[in-house]
Amino acid sequence: MFIDQLPQMFLTCLSLTMVLLILPIILSMVTKPLNNWPLYVKNSVKMSFFTSLIPSIIYLNTNMQSCVIYYRWMLVSPIEINISLQFDQYSMIFMSIALYVTWSILEFAMYYMHTDILINRFFKYLLTFLISMMILVTANNMFQLFIGWEGVGIMSFLLIGWWYGRTDANMAAMQAVIYNRVGDIGLMLAMAWLLINMNSWDIQQLFIMTKNMDTTIPAMGLLLAAMGKSAQFGLHPWLPAAMEGPTPVSALLHSSTMVVAGIFLLIRLHPFLENNNKVLTAALCLGAITTFFTAACALTQNDIKKIVAFSTSSQLGLMMVAIGLNQPQLAFMHICTHAFFKAMMFLCSGSIIHSLNDEQDIRKMGGIHKIMPMTSTCLMIGSLALMGTPFLAGFFSKDAIIEALNTSHLNAWALMLTLIATSFTAVYSLRIIYFVSMSTTRMLPLSPVNENNPLIINPIKRLAWGSIIAGFILYNFILPNKTQMMTMPMSLKLTALIVSLLGLIIAFELALLTNKQIKIHPTKILHNFSNMLGFYPHTMHRLMSKLPLMFGQINATQTTDQSWTEMMGPKGIANLQLTLAQKITHMQKGLIKTYLSITMLSLLVITAMIIYF
Amino acid sequence: MSPYILFVMLTSLGLGTTLTFTSSHWLLAWMGLEINTLAIIPLMTNKHHPRAVEAATKYFLTQAAAAAILLFASIYNAWYSGQWFIQDMSSPVSTLMTLAIAIKLGIAPMHFWLPEVMQGISINTGLILVTWQKLAPLALLMQISHNIKPELLIILGLMSTIIGGWGGLNQTQIRKIMAYSSIAHLGWIISILHFMPALAMVNLFIYLIMTITMFMTFNLLNSPTINTLAVNWSKSPILAATSALALLSLGGLPPLSGFMPKWLIIQELTNQELAPTATLLALSALLSLFFYLRLSYSLSLTIMPNTHPQTLNWNMKITTPLPLSLMMMMTLTMLPITPTIISLF
Repeated sequence: MFIDQLPQMFLTCLSLTMVLLILPIILSMVTKPLNNWPLYVKNSVKMSFFTSLIPSIIYLNTNMQSCVIYYRWMLVSPIEINISLQFDQYSMIFMSIALYVTWSILEFAMYYMHTDILINRFFKYLLTFLISMMILVTANNMFQLFIGWEGVGIMSFLLIGWWYGRTDANMAAMQAVIYNRVGDIGLMLAMAWLLINMNSWDIQQLFIMTKNMDTTIPAMGLLLAAMGKSAQFGLHPWLPAAMEGPTPVSALLHSSTMVVAGIFLLIRLHPFLENNNKVLTAALCLGAITTFFTAACALTQNDIKKIVAFSTSSQLGLMMVAIGLNQPQLAFMHICTHAFFKAMMFLCSGSIIHSLNDEQDIRKMGGIHKIMPMTSTCLMIGSLALMGTPFLAGFFSKDAIIEALNTSHLNAWALMLTLIATSFTAVYSLRIIYFVSMSTTRMLPLSPVNENNPLIINPIKRLAWGSIIAGFILYNFILPNKTQMMTMPMSLKLTALIVSLLGLIIAFELALLTNKQIKIHPTKILHNFSNMLGFYPHTMHRLMSKLPLMFGQINATQTTDQSWTEMMGPKGIANLQLTLAQKITHMQKGLIKTYLSITMLSLLVITAMIIYF
Repeated sequence: MSPYILFVMLTSLGLGTTLTFTSSHWLLAWMGLEINTLAIIPLMTNKHHPRAVEAATKYFLTQAAAAAILLFASIYNAWYSGQWFIQDMSSPVSTLMTLAIAIKLGIAPMHFWLPEVMQGISINTGLILVTWQKLAPLALLMQISHNIKPELLIILGLMSTIIGGWGGLNQTQIRKIMAYSSIAHLGWIISILHFMPALAMVNLFIYLIMTITMFMTFNLLNSPTINTLAVNWSKSPILAATSALALLSLGGLPPLSGFMPKWLIIQELTNQELAPTATLLALSALLSLFFYLRLSYSLSLTIMPNTHPQTLNWNMKITTPLPLSLMMMMTLTMLPITPTIISLF
C-alpha cells in the first residue's frame, strides 16, 4: 500500500523540508518576534531534518531520484530559466546531513550566544545561510546555483563580521568576500561560456550537449570558483581569518557546509571535467598542494580554532585530490563524513573556549580532560575520525581516496604530498589533544568551567554518534559509480594507516621534548615559515593592492595625464612660450648700437641671400 | 608747446606724408620721408625729460639710417635703369629698398627701436608714430610691391607676427604692448602685399581704426601699465566694457571687425598655394591674442579690490566724444559690411 504512494510521499516530504526552513523567515518578516525565537528556529530545523530523512531513506532503499520544475521564471527564448530542484544522490544525502549538523549547531548556539542581545538576528542569519545552501545543493540549473552561491557568500560575510566592532573581524569578513569574489569570476566565466555555447543553463541539458566537446574553458572557470569558495591554495587565506566569527558560524559555515560548496559544484558538474585531462591534473596538483601547505601551517598554530580551520582546509584539499582522480563520489563521501567530525570538533572547541572565559590559545589550556570529560572525549573521537582511524567515519572516505591515489597512474608528486599531509594530520591532531586535554593545567585558576548543560552535551553527543557510524552507513548503502581498484599490494593498502601512525609516534616524541631544552637557541626557520602561514597573506595582501595602484599611478596619472595630455599640451606649450618670449625681449637692452648693428647685419645677410638664390 | 609751433609741426607732418603719396620721383619721396622724420622729433620731445629725449634720439638715428639706405638704393636704381620713376623699379636693389622701408616701419628683424621709442613718448605722439608714420612707407612699398621677391615679404611678415607675438607676452607697459601689436599687424599687412595689395590696404585701414580706438582709450584712462588698468572699471564703465571688445577685435576674433583682414588674407594665401604660411600666421596671431586677452582681463573682466568711495568716480569727462565713439563703433561692427570695404580698395 505504501509502495505505490512512494513517489508522492517522496516529493511531498522534500517540498515540506524546504517549506519548513523558509517558514521562520517569512514569519519574522510578518509579525513580532516570538518569545523564544532561537528555540523555534532550532525546532524548525529539527523537523526539517526528520522530514528529509524519509526521502533519503527511500532513496537508499529504492534509488528513487527526482527532478522537479516548480515555476517558469524567465523566458528569453531560446533560454528558459525555471525554478527547478534536483533531488538526486548528492543533494538528498547532503541535505539530510546538513540539516542534522545544523540542528546540532543551532542547539549549541542557543548556549553559546545566550548572552548576546542580537541572538534572534544571529539565528535568522544562520537560517538564511542554510536556505541558501539548500538552494545551491538542490539547484537544477546554473542560475539557481549561482543564487545559492552568492547567498552563502554574503551570509558568510555577515556572520564572520558578527562582532563588527572588532577590526580584525571586519578585515576577515572583507577577505572572505574578496577571495570569494575572485572565485566567482570563474563561475561567471563558466556560466557565460555555457550560456553562449549551449543556449541553456539546465544541468541535464548541459551534460548531454557537452558530451564530446572541448570544455576546458568552463571547467577551468569552475575550478577557479571552487578555489575561491573552498579555499584552495592561492585563494586560501580567508578561511583561517574567518575564525573571527563566533564558533557556531565556524562550525556551520567554515567546516561543514559553505566551504564544501566549491567541491560540491565540481562534483555536481563533474561530466565537464571527466574527459579533460588538463583540468583534472590541475585539480589534482592544486588539491595536493593545498592539503600539504595547510597541514604544514597547522603544525605551529597556537589558536585552537585556527588549527581546526587549517585542518578543514587540508581536508578540502583532499577532496579536491579526489576530484582530480576522477572520483567525485569519493569526494562526496568525504564531504559527508567530514561534516560530522569537523562540526563536532568546532563545537567542542567552542565549549572549551566559553568554559575558559573566552581563552583560545592552547598554550593556556591543559588538563581539560579531567574537568570537562564529555567535551574532551568527543574531541578525541573527532580527532581520531579525522586521522582516519579504522572503522570510524573518516576512515571510509579518507582511506578510499588514498587507496585510489595509490593505485592510479597519475602524479606521484601529488601522491607524496597527500601522504605527508596525512601524517601531518596526525601530528596536529595530537598537538591539539596534548595541549588541550592532556598533561598539566595552564589555565587561569578561576575559570567558569561548566559543561553540564544539555544544550552543549546533546549536540556534541549527536555529532559523536554521527562521527562513529555515518561512514559505515553511507559506505554500505551507496553504490559506487566508477569501479574501484580493489586489489593492491599490502604496503599500498596500509599506506594511510602506517603514515598516520608514523606521524603520531613522531608527534609523541616531540611532545615529550616540550619540557627539555636541547639547544640554547632553537632554529626557528621552519617554525616561522609555518607559523606565519608561509608569509602568504602578508605578501599577497600588500602586493595585490600595491601593484594596481602603482600601475595606475605610473600609467594613468604620470604617463597619460601628466605627461601626454598636460606636458604635450597646455603646460608644455606654456613653458615653451615663456622661454621664447624671454629670449626675444632680452634682446631689447636699450643699446642703440646693438639695434643698429643687428639691423645692418640683417640687411647684409638678406641682401646677399636674395642675390645669390 | 606753443600753438604756433604745434601747428607748424603738424602741418609739416601732413606735408611730408602727402608729398610721399603724390610723388613719382624717388628723390621727392625720400624728401617727404625726411620731412616726416624731422617734423615728429620736436613732437616727441614735447616734455623735456630724458626718457623722451632718448626715445627721440633713437628714433632719429634709425629713421635717418633707413632714409640713407633708401636714398642709396634709389640712386643705384637710377644709375642702373636710367630713370627715377617709382613704379618702374626693376633692379636688384629692390630688396635693399624693401629692407630700408622695413626699418622705417618697424618690421622684424629691424624692429628693435619701436618698443623703446613708444615707451619714451606720450601716448598721443605714440598714436601718430604708429598710425600716420606708417602710411608713407607703406605707400612706397605698395608701389614697388610687384617687383619684390615674394619670399622676402613672406619671411619678413612671418617673422614680424611671431616676434610681435612673443615679444608682447613679456611686457607690462601698455605702450610697449601696443608697439609689439603694431609690429605684428604690420607683419600681416606685408605678407599679402605681393599677391593682393588691395587686401593690404584693407588690413591697414582696419588696423588704423582699431589702433586709434585703443590709443584714444588708453589716453583717456591714463594708465601706463597693466596693473593700473585695473582701476578703470569705475572711471568709465562703458569704456571698460567696449574696450575689452576692442582689444578682442585687435586680436582678430570674429564677429568683430578685426577678423576681416585676417580672414581675407588667409583665404588669399591659401588660394596662392601658401597654406603653411597661412597656418603659421594664424598660429602666431594666437600669441598676440593672449596679451590682448590679458589686457582685457585686467581692464574689464576682473574687479580690483578697492574702497567704496573709489567706486563712485563720476567726474571723468570726455570733452570730444565723437572720434572715440566713431572709431569704437567701427572697430566693433564692421564685419558684416566686408564687401563694401573691399570694394573701397
